[in-house]
Amino acid sequence: MKSLKPNWSLLFVLAVTLATTGCKPADENKAASSGAAGKPTVALVMKSLANEFFSTMEKGAEAHQQAHAADYELLSNGIKDELDVSKQIELVEQMIAQKVDAIVIAPADSKALVPVCKKAQQAGIVVVNIDNKFDESVLAANGVKFPFVGPDNRKGAKAVADFLAGKLKAGDPVMIIEGSPNAYNGLQRRLGFEDAVNAAGLKIVASQSGYWETDKANQLVASLITEHPETKAVLCANDSMALGAVPALRAAGKLDSVLVVGFDNIAAARQLIQEKKILATADQHGGQLAVFGIEFALDTLKNKTTPADRETPVDLVTAENLSAK
Amino acid sequence: MTKPNETSPAWRGLIADYAGLLIALGLLVVVFSLATRHFFSPETFRTIANQIPAAVLVATGMTFVLIVAEIDLSVGSVAGLSGAVLGAALTQWQWPLWAALLAAMGAGAFCGTFNGLVSLKWRLPSFIVTLGMMEMARGGAHAVTHSQTQYIGAAIERIAITEFFGLSLPFLLAMVVVVVAQVVLTKSVFGRYMFAVGANENAARFSGLNPKRIRLTVFILCSSLAALAAIIDTSRFQSSNPNAGTGFELQAIAAAVIGGTSLMGGRGSVVRTLLGVLIIAVLNSGLASIGAKDEIKRLVTGAVIITAVIVDYYRTRMIRGRAA
Repeated sequence: MKSLKPNWSLLFVLAVTLATTGCKPADENKAASSGAAGKPTVALVMKSLANEFFSTMEKGAEAHQQAHAADYELLSNGIKDELDVSKQIELVEQMIAQKVDAIVIAPADSKALVPVCKKAQQAGIVVVNIDNKFDESVLAANGVKFPFVGPDNRKGAKAVADFLAGKLKAGDPVMIIEGSPNAYNGLQRRLGFEDAVNAAGLKIVASQSGYWETDKANQLVASLITEHPETKAVLCANDSMALGAVPALRAAGKLDSVLVVGFDNIAAARQLIQEKKILATADQHGGQLAVFGIEFALDTLKNKTTPADRETPVDLVTAENLSAK
Repeated sequence: MTKPNETSPAWRGLIADYAGLLIALGLLVVVFSLATRHFFSPETFRTIANQIPAAVLVATGMTFVLIVAEIDLSVGSVAGLSGAVLGAALTQWQWPLWAALLAAMGAGAFCGTFNGLVSLKWRLPSFIVTLGMMEMARGGAHAVTHSQTQYIGAAIERIAITEFFGLSLPFLLAMVVVVVAQVVLTKSVFGRYMFAVGANENAARFSGLNPKRIRLTVFILCSSLAALAAIIDTSRFQSSNPNAGTGFELQAIAAAVIGGTSLMGGRGSVVRTLLGVLIIAVLNSGLASIGAKDEIKRLVTGAVIITAVIVDYYRTRMIRGRAA
């Protein structure tokens, strides 16, 4: 391919886009950093706002700030693409330059974000880790610690899979559709699924990554169900992938004989649960997650001590408890 | 050019044209069938037939755009926007199905018109304009859906599950589009104009053609096909996700290039693009069936694309050598 003439112009445009997107208008930033004396500024740094889970999280945080407008200023930012790790590092650097008082971060990568957060901590900023936990070994290698406020994904996934196992019998074959291979929470969910599956004596016939996406999971499940037609259940590491698994099973004529579970409790999945096409999902209260982190940061700022890690709840969602609500 | 040589019988031209791709496809099927228990089964082929319609439509539009020496990077986002409009119209605005479908197609056609008018009016590379549209349409998809997956349910399902002779409506639709597009390319005046504009714009203009009008039509066609693809995928998943279609543009370009479409314009065939889509689909399905690791899947898929381009280089040289 000796074509694609305007290659350098692509680079230029990419550079411009990277430099502009994600940066909030300058006046907003200024207002925040010069914030009224005594009122701390908390920066919320999230992963992709394109993901329903994080947009819900941001809305929860904004509602909380409006209710507590006298207590703190909120500066919330997300990245365009969940895998755009370098952009998130730049965001944290910008927040350090803004001299915010606290950073509440859901790291896009549990290892790559450690050094820049260490820099923030050394600059006297309170750093609170939410949602996706930093990697212990990288934290140790950098000689830092950040308090973690978030759900135990492994426990949540185990609860979903335990509920599923109750509907199956020992020896039944199941498949796991994993999240992105580089995401800590994806790994934890897989481990949680495996904990329950092994405890119940089920057999894992396939375990592959659907990269968190509906269409990728759909293709994957469609191929896997042909290869392993005896499968009794599909465990998906998030609801978007469960939404892809259901039509693949329907196309194979197996929707009635194969159970599907997801994770995240998005609105679309709740409806499929009521239609009995998905068996269960897990709610980790995304809307509240950032709020827990912000409250934690405010406590730390006020009391000048670091409270212990805080585990937030993960609840099992099934047709029974949906109709009860 | 992919047109059969007039002095030899048509079938010989056809075989020479498609043999390489068909052999590659056949080889993949044989390899995966030997490596797995159930790959070689009607279910696999039905599954692939269910999955490819959206990709075929987008790749067909992309082939047209590439033939006239342009590129459209916005197809994935335009599909996302059209799907979002469809979902929002059915759930938030409570529109009847026909109106929602019309709105989805309209959103696609609008984006194509914008791409075409802006890049032609200011003589901007379509690479840049459609890169901008890629962002704008994705933003629009998120605005319309409030970044939430819209669950539609049975209202939309019947498009995907309607079957004739065991073949799904989307599959038949995609095949009809391929046949019509191929006939337009090889037999119609418009098709000849497309090749002429793509191969040598100045020559085309001196012979009295209006390259701008032809290119604008092609941009609109391409975005409209992306909208149609979005309708099919929305129906298949019974829901519209604002991130749907991410990466479609690269898949479509890959399929067209595997099928021997030139990124420099003036050369391409929709049927060969279809074979390109099939090769990628068989590869995806087969690699999943043998349980290949993700890194292996990506390595292999990338290597197949590059190999196809190298093979195509020799094929073109061979054909030119014979013609001389």
